[in-house]
Amino acid sequence: MRRYRFVRNLAIGVATCFAWLAIDGALEILMAQTPFGGPRPAAAAPEIGGLFGWLLARQSEFYREISATIRAAKSDGSAVWTLLAIAFAYGIFHAAGPGHGKAVISSYLIANRETARRGIVLSFASALLQSLVAVLIVGIGAGLLNATARTMCGAEKAIEIASYALIAAFGARLVWSKGGGFMRALQARPAPAMAVAHHHDHDHDHGHDHRHGDDHVHDEHCGHAHGPTPDQLAGPGGWQRGLGAIVAVGLRPCSGAILVLVFALAQGLFWAGIAATFAMGLGTAITVAAIAVIAVSAKSLAQRLSGASDGGGTLILRGIEFGAAGLVLLFGLGLLFGYLAAERVTCL
Amino acid sequence: MKPKRRWLGLLLLAGALAFGAPEAQAHPHVWITARSEVIYAPDGSVSGVRHAWTFDDMFSTYALQGIEARTKGAWSREELAELAKTNVESLKEFGFFTFARADGSKEKFLEPVDYYLEYKDSLLTLNFTLPLKTPVKARSLVLDVFDRAFFIDFKFADQEPVRLVGAPADCRMTFQRPNDGTAGAQKLGEQNFLGGEGANYGAMFANKITVDCP
Repeated sequence: MRRYRFVRNLAIGVATCFAWLAIDGALEILMAQTPFGGPRPAAAAPEIGGLFGWLLARQSEFYREISATIRAAKSDGSAVWTLLAIAFAYGIFHAAGPGHGKAVISSYLIANRETARRGIVLSFASALLQSLVAVLIVGIGAGLLNATARTMCGAEKAIEIASYALIAAFGARLVWSKGGGFMRALQARPAPAMAVAHHHDHDHDHGHDHRHGDDHVHDEHCGHAHGPTPDQLAGPGGWQRGLGAIVAVGLRPCSGAILVLVFALAQGLFWAGIAATFAMGLGTAITVAAIAVIAVSAKSLAQRLSGASDGGGTLILRGIEFGAAGLVLLFGLGLLFGYLAAERVTCL
Repeated sequence: MKPKRRWLGLLLLAGALAFGAPEAQAHPHVWITARSEVIYAPDGSVSGVRHAWTFDDMFSTYALQGIEARTKGAWSREELAELAKTNVESLKEFGFFTFARADGSKEKFLEPVDYYLEYKDSLLTLNFTLPLKTPVKARSLVLDVFDRAFFIDFKFADQEPVRLVGAPADCRMTFQRPNDGTAGAQKLGEQNFLGGEGANYGAMFANKITVDCP
């Protein structure tokens, strides 16, 4: 029995790794051809030492095609469609590689026992906000005030720091509330009554994921009377909860979008730049949502496999939630204090 | 039911999660085509580095936003003087993306001199000279040019990427381009997102100039 459980946990971990790799692989095969017809010339494909290097190369290619396409759109209106396609592809790759958005959203979903459905909504909402912020910065800064790049970059930097501080605060709040749940699970482990209560809880969450998909997304934690759950401690339900994640992640605009917008503005095609920015946002949202769904599914798998019979399963789940909350906090602090220097905008 | 086993399972899950989520690696937003000169004093010591960095057209346009030109679309060196000053001042924060070692010890640079921006074929080129704080005679000089955050992708020009100016006749220069992340990708995977070196992963995109003077 003991041995079986260990094997099971091992299997969950391995399965999650494989799920991730499978998606990587699928993307790789899918994108072996350009989305705009024709296979990639073999010479253009670098020797792939890892998915990352490859993603980076694709991303750079798409991004560098954007400026040429905007120029082309000046004389040939149909180039705008190409522009949108490239921007969309760039968005997908952009989010698949680096970026704190998907990490924060995935961790948040896991920590807060959210549904996959809600993860998708959060991903799209935050990407939409991100696009809006970029359009506003350039529209007001460059379009109306004719500010210099330096000024806009300064604004971008200020927003960035505010956004990172928000992520840290958001993570701190999650850690605070999840820590309680984790400690309770630690203490409650031998008590069978608690285990039963949590068993019910799991069933409910699970059922909600897969059977009541059309219910209101914020109904999932209502109607429980098992004493204060971590969710109740996390604050009121509904949109206020998700709003924190949306703003924390979506406030910081993508530097790439700002560059594209300013470039489009200079070419007299600001509207094309705006369209490209939202196409990028859509691509980003799809990738982030996909990763969020994987994260939530991995957790619900863990929940189903480990939480069925005793308090130990609850402990694992509360531990995962606590760990995820901790990740959000670490991310926020790391971004804020520049350990993740890679995610700092560089103003020249 | 042993807690140990549980923790192991938990660790595995956390690992799986961490594997998928926190890739904190950056991606370039600015591309620079660089040409550099290593400058020698008459006594054979290295006195500084002269860079000519051409920005990609998107960034060039972005940088010119809000800067007036008498002739529309044709900025003169004077009209760009202020921007050039802003550029070199901003570069200081990043160590001018130029890192020198003479016989293994790190060398410092002074503030840039002789800097100006040129606008040609809708591209901006930033020219500047970085004087070494103390000119050195080195048997082996190593210059790395890269952005450790990889916000900027440095690519040296195909033709004459690096020149030695006034170097002693027996000095030999080798120039090594970055490997586009292919060789470093595995190393990258091992870098934890909170590991201190995580911030330095751009090193694998470094352009390495080595000058050996026996």
